[in-house]
Amino acid sequence: MNTLEPSGPPTPVVHPSAPVATDPAPVLATTGDPTPPVVRIRQLRKSFGSLEVLHGIDLDVHAGEHVVLFGPSGSGKSTVLRSINLLEEPNSGSVCVDGVEYGPGVAGEPRVKRGKPMALRRKVGMVFQQFNLFPHLTALDNVSLPLRSVKGMSSEDAMRKAAESLRQVGLLERAAHYPGQLSGGQQQRVAIARALSQDPKVMLFDEPTSALDPELVGEVLRVMHELADAGMTMVVVTHELGFAREIGDLNVFMDQGAIVETGSSELFDNPTNPRTQDFIRAVR
Amino acid sequence: MDISSYDWGLIWDYRGDLLRGLLTALEVSGVALVIATAAGLGLAMLRMGRAPLSWLAVVYINVFRGMPALVTVIWIYFGVSLLLGVNFSVFQAGVIALSLLYSAFMAEIFRSALQAVPPGHREAGLALGMPNGRIFFSVVAPQAFKIALPNVGSMFIGMIKDTSTFTVIGLLEVVRVTQNINAQTFQPFVLYTAAAAIYVLAAFVIDIFFRLAEASLSSPPRGRVSQLVRGRKQRRIQALVAELT
Repeated sequence: MNTLEPSGPPTPVVHPSAPVATDPAPVLATTGDPTPPVVRIRQLRKSFGSLEVLHGIDLDVHAGEHVVLFGPSGSGKSTVLRSINLLEEPNSGSVCVDGVEYGPGVAGEPRVKRGKPMALRRKVGMVFQQFNLFPHLTALDNVSLPLRSVKGMSSEDAMRKAAESLRQVGLLERAAHYPGQLSGGQQQRVAIARALSQDPKVMLFDEPTSALDPELVGEVLRVMHELADAGMTMVVVTHELGFAREIGDLNVFMDQGAIVETGSSELFDNPTNPRTQDFIRAVR
Repeated sequence: MDISSYDWGLIWDYRGDLLRGLLTALEVSGVALVIATAAGLGLAMLRMGRAPLSWLAVVYINVFRGMPALVTVIWIYFGVSLLLGVNFSVFQAGVIALSLLYSAFMAEIFRSALQAVPPGHREAGLALGMPNGRIFFSVVAPQAFKIALPNVGSMFIGMIKDTSTFTVIGLLEVVRVTQNINAQTFQPFVLYTAAAAIYVLAAFVIDIFFRLAEASLSSPPRGRVSQLVRGRKQRRIQALVAELT
């Protein structure tokens, strides 16, 4: 009950030695927007046991930006995403969301205003690969339960707001259905509605279409596309590079626990790093 | 003794005594079920929590899962009562014995049920900013309860059967009543057949009850009972959807 097992990230590829000293200078992933970022990650390191899976990540996400993390499995992209809402606790480094700092912080840097994980999570929405809907509740109650327990809304208000969120993802008429009565694509759209209804500053998507049958991928990507067009700040871990090319303002290629290369959509056409080139060629 | 001398009418003649015996067995088991369920849930939490409390829970579970009901009730009624200087009634001794034994089983049932809820559901609750207590009561516990329910039913049946050993301390349950009637009528085959039938019937009825409860907890709800209980909520959602479309 008490501790949460780290269940998320896939088993990382084991490298002979953690590349620390010999590695090239860490890449700061940012669009260069001068406004203060909504999410600011600095020198983030994470280990599972004795194995370090993130060797210092630096990432800025500004309001309205769509950041895509991609790379081979075990590269640490899901762990970065799960660090943003502290489902993974950083071993060192700083996670800053909406001006409030979490995590141990960066050595030598002054501490900013510090916050508790629960306060952070209320500003960050997350969509999981496995949907993680609550199977004993209707689609509507899946959305309204957190509205009642987190936002303290009355049952009536929560139901109305939940219905609005379901309408946004095109599932209002399925409100009384249970997750078991919905297709995978519909379940994922309910999960998106659930996260959206909390009015998050940023939405995290952890391989949202990887568990879906191919014919159901489109409806989920369509909803995400609409969100992106509406100006939602998004961080997306995905293998759908076509989708990434369409929405990605900042595309981040990760390998072996580090950021290798970043860029706008031209990164997919003209990658400079050989590892990025290999990966994009292999996926295509 | 030839077959024509079996007096099956005895069962009808003594039906009141036999049913009172069953009622006593049900009362002892029912009270013990409530206590064992609560204690078992607490033990399961301790067991899944931090050392050294988790070790204590493990020791408790392994001791009382291994003790036979007969030994336990004698130990309580004749032993522990002396140690504490309290005179337990036979009813109390029976309840205590069953509660001690079955809380150990319940702890394991609840532990496995809680662990069977996918950890992602808890993570989803955390990611939504829900407090831990709310995640437990609104997300994890309802799912775990449904998983545990059939096993809790089996435990209840086991408890009722174990009350038969409490005849040794003089509890007037089914076996004790049967022995008393047999002492007057010398019809052991007839009477013990009746006793066996009573246990089987009781188990059958309890099984049906727990099956209904399980069906009513399924999503979507099955069965009339759950439609009565949960139908209102469904209709409220449907009315809201109709209003908004």
